Amino acid sequence: MSVLDEIYEKAKVNPQKVAFPEAENEKMMQAAYEAGKEGYIHPILVGNVEKIKSLIAERGLEESVFTFVDIADEEYRDAIIAKYIALEGTLLKEKPLIRRMKDPLYFAMVMEAVGDAAVTFAGIDNTTGDVLLAGQMIIGLKPGISTISSIGLCDIQGFEGSEGSLLAVGDSAVCTNPTSEQLASIAISACDTVSSLLDWEPRCAMVSYSTLGSGQGELIDKVVEGVKIANELRPDLAIDGEFQFDSAVSEAVAAKKVNRESRVAGKANVIIWPDLNVGNVGVKLIQQFGKADAYGPMLQGFNKIVCDCSRGAPVSEIKGNIVISAVRAAGSKN
Amino acid sequence: MERKELEQQIIALVATSYGVEEAALTADSKFGEDINGTSVQMVGLVSEIENELDVMVQLQDAAGCATIADLVDKVEEEM
Repeated sequence: MSVLDEIYEKAKVNPQKVAFPEAENEKMMQAAYEAGKEGYIHPILVGNVEKIKSLIAERGLEESVFTFVDIADEEYRDAIIAKYIALEGTLLKEKPLIRRMKDPLYFAMVMEAVGDAAVTFAGIDNTTGDVLLAGQMIIGLKPGISTISSIGLCDIQGFEGSEGSLLAVGDSAVCTNPTSEQLASIAISACDTVSSLLDWEPRCAMVSYSTLGSGQGELIDKVVEGVKIANELRPDLAIDGEFQFDSAVSEAVAAKKVNRESRVAGKANVIIWPDLNVGNVGVKLIQQFGKADAYGPMLQGFNKIVCDCSRGAPVSEIKGNIVISAVRAAGSKN
Repeated sequence: MERKELEQQIIALVATSYGVEEAALTADSKFGEDINGTSVQMVGLVSEIENELDVMVQLQDAAGCATIADLVDKVEEEM
């Protein structure tokens, strides 16, 4: 059974409410429909309900698969605004919320923030920037986390790591040139992501071109400091480094290069790149030469699950990412 | 609202959002030099401007401001 099949199985056991603010989009509606019809999620379509229902009929889909929230429903809007404002640490007050919630993306996120949905899934009509901004404004960041970031899950043919052919890597998509503090945030968020999605015990390596002082320089110092901050913030997590990539994932190499106890060296299941240049090139090397399937990017660092899909993604990929986000939401409630 | 009054209000919002002393800021204070912070703090600032002044400044416009005076210009444009 592939990792995606396992995730699909998990989703079915505890289907989550997923809010779709781009419900009119044909690919998004189809993906939401399939995920709902097959029992992986409870899809909530958010927007102009009359328009959405006419599109459902036009496209020959069953209306009963969905529930609907109309952004023109002022009674419901005011009720969730009241709940939202009562939450701790929210950024926007009532008047700006009313203005922003004319946009289904913001409406859906307020629903999520107050618990009426477990996930907001968007990104096919909105840009990544739109989704990240709405997420930061409405959902907010987890306490102690200084940046939004992402991880991808790679299923690499022939790789025999501590989780078989699977390896989580990040950030390959969002945070361009992280500071040490941001690197620590990415590592912590990545550990939480793989725990909630895959039930892994995370072993997170922060990588560079040096293993435990074998090289010197500011590029390495940034990673070393990041490891230190991550360990101070979350001593419960196995986050270690700085390691070269091979020291992180190969027990044979780690035995030669890592001359101290480490819960991570040689058996890392999560890799944190030092910056986006490395991350983007790294993940593409894995895909091209490792013949890997890469799932994601999964956004992380938010208080709740926010998902951004690629605008060019086919329905099958959107559906996979919807199911992944639902399983993450279910896992993070545990 | 007079420019000077608006300027003072925005200085106060910058101080709150970035956790710096209001007295240390002027209209000429530069983002990235005198005012250092993360993009998350800029999101907080844009939200505060929206809450307190009822003006929606786009994040990318705010992020493109070199100084507080530039940000005041943006807010004035949107008023």
